[in-house]
Amino acid sequence: MSVNGITDVEFGDTLPVFDPDTSLANVARFVEAAHWNAPRFTDHEAARAEGLPGALVPGIMSQGFLAAMIHRWAPKAEILYVDTVFRAPVVVDQPCHINGVVTDLDEATGEVEIDLTVTNEAGETRVFGTARARLPN
Amino acid sequence: MSDAIDVEALRAAYLNQVFDEVEVTLDAEETAAYAVSCGEVAACFTDPSDPDFQAPPTLPARLHPSRRRPKGFPKVVGLGMDAGKAVHCHRPIRPGIKLTAKTHMHDIYTKTGRSGRMVFFINRMEIFDPDGQLLASADTSSVVRERPEQ
Repeated sequence: MSVNGITDVEFGDTLPVFDPDTSLANVARFVEAAHWNAPRFTDHEAARAEGLPGALVPGIMSQGFLAAMIHRWAPKAEILYVDTVFRAPVVVDQPCHINGVVTDLDEATGEVEIDLTVTNEAGETRVFGTARARLPN
Repeated sequence: MSDAIDVEALRAAYLNQVFDEVEVTLDAEETAAYAVSCGEVAACFTDPSDPDFQAPPTLPARLHPSRRRPKGFPKVVGLGMDAGKAVHCHRPIRPGIKLTAKTHMHDIYTKTGRSGRMVFFINRMEIFDPDGQLLASADTSSVVRERPEQ
């Protein structure tokens, strides 16, 4: 369910889980647009040759997933801040889930704080972060 | 001879001084592709013909300075890793406008764990429009785990 304003939000609300497209084709599209094109993002064998578990989803793409999840939950949200910690690799072609929970809100300003994680199929946190967004009153 | 990083000396010498400035103009189609591949669905991020078309909020994290450290910054010995990214959004970033991105070292600090001391370096890139208005800033955090004393 999406929300329209701050009055629709309660402390502790869980955002709908977003499963982003981590396919090689989509990551290739991303790195082309970001001017971050490198074999470690687009070629599993080349990434493994570097000692990586496979081609990686760039950290900035994971950060983009987090912002997209907030907009899917609250289409009118104005994102003010996103802080992301890259804890472990997110591997291309492996499903991941974007999760969020409201940890603070201020009805006067319309601002909410959201804790965010990127988890893999094993439930391991690969990326975590915090965002602040402003919603209409 | 110790390779330990003198954090206080580095802070005194290098913090808050702009060491890099680059100009960039975002392409509308690339900006939309960036947003779509991240899963954005709103037209203001995905459709260049939308009257409110703008870059998705995390896009500033993709911009690079032309150099990672100020001139004269000492070589840091240890295992380096990308530790994270933070973006502060102040105003919408519109493709097609010449942007100026200025980078400074925003912070240097340490954390000590069981495996030894880690030193964090935070570069902050501030992005301005042609009128000098701050649109966004992007912090890049890198961490170096110092090698234990032999």
